[in-house]
Amino acid sequence: MAYYKPSAMRQQKGQTTPQEPNLVPIMNLFLTIIPFMMMMVVVSQLALVALNFSQGEGGGGSGGGGGGNTKADKVEIHILGNGYAKANGFLGMEIREPGMDTKQIAAINKNYDYVALENAIKDIRARKANLIDITVLVHPDVLYGDLIRTIDLCKTNGFTQVHYTAPKVQYYY
Amino acid sequence: MRIRDRLHSSDKSRRKVRRKYDEIKGLSITSLLDVLTIILVFLMKNVNMESTKLSAVQGIQYPSTITNDALLAKTGTTPIKVFTDKVLVGIESLSFGSPADLLQNAQKRSDISKYLELEAADIVKAGQETCLVVQADRYIPCDYITEIVRIATASGYTYIYFATLEDADWLKNYNVSSAQ
Repeated sequence: MAYYKPSAMRQQKGQTTPQEPNLVPIMNLFLTIIPFMMMMVVVSQLALVALNFSQGEGGGGSGGGGGGNTKADKVEIHILGNGYAKANGFLGMEIREPGMDTKQIAAINKNYDYVALENAIKDIRARKANLIDITVLVHPDVLYGDLIRTIDLCKTNGFTQVHYTAPKVQYYY
Repeated sequence: MRIRDRLHSSDKSRRKVRRKYDEIKGLSITSLLDVLTIILVFLMKNVNMESTKLSAVQGIQYPSTITNDALLAKTGTTPIKVFTDKVLVGIESLSFGSPADLLQNAQKRSDISKYLELEAADIVKAGQETCLVVQADRYIPCDYITEIVRIATASGYTYIYFATLEDADWLKNYNVSSAQ
């Protein structure tokens, strides 16, 4: 047993119950990190529409392979802009299909008629159940939102390989 | 008996015994800390730093789509943000200039092409597929988008993604006469 002098014994601190670690700084750190990380998690609400250019199609296109019959079944959706409308007096979309008459979908109040386009695409889908390729030709002055909506309608109707082409056009008034 | 009880109850000399209450203990933070630790670990596991490249940017009105294609695995993505008045390139959001510069300024076009080539080379070196994510305002003319796609494909990008906002009902809500 240890022996202490009376003076040394006075210097000894009384035994206390063990203290809990101070968690407040850790809590502060966590409360800073967690909202920051939650902000980063919320981030990916963006959807994506994919185009694949691996096949080296002129102007773009998506993968998939070329069956021998694809050229014969090439369906094109032309999104015509205001420049075309001034030169030719028609604003809207055209669907060109081999062996079929060109189908025109006129814009209403200068807005593209996506409901009519959806019906036209469904009609093509009904006639050509195995076709997955479709080409979207967009004129330079067409807005990006209109292009994306057209591609979106093609994809939702089973045309998974959407080819994107932009023709070089000049209008003469 | 009753009288006796009354006598007892009226006895003022009788000592009152108060009930002892326990001391109020401090709030236990330990359980809260446990919960926060679990949440933190969960978040750290799920947070994907790639997604920060695809974050929705303020100032861009994204087009809405029904489809939502998943980003391919093992892709190195380079974002390009096209606002109505400016273009920001890469993860660092380097300022490129205005969208009109894409068509009118050959020097800037060359610069962006070189930048994308370097980025694509880095991605390929890392053993990943090259992928460009275009985040553009829906009111941008397609001419600019076509130019970006042309430059990107010429610089070696295999996949082009267009960032949109998912809205399964946009066609149902679409009113052609008012074009919402």
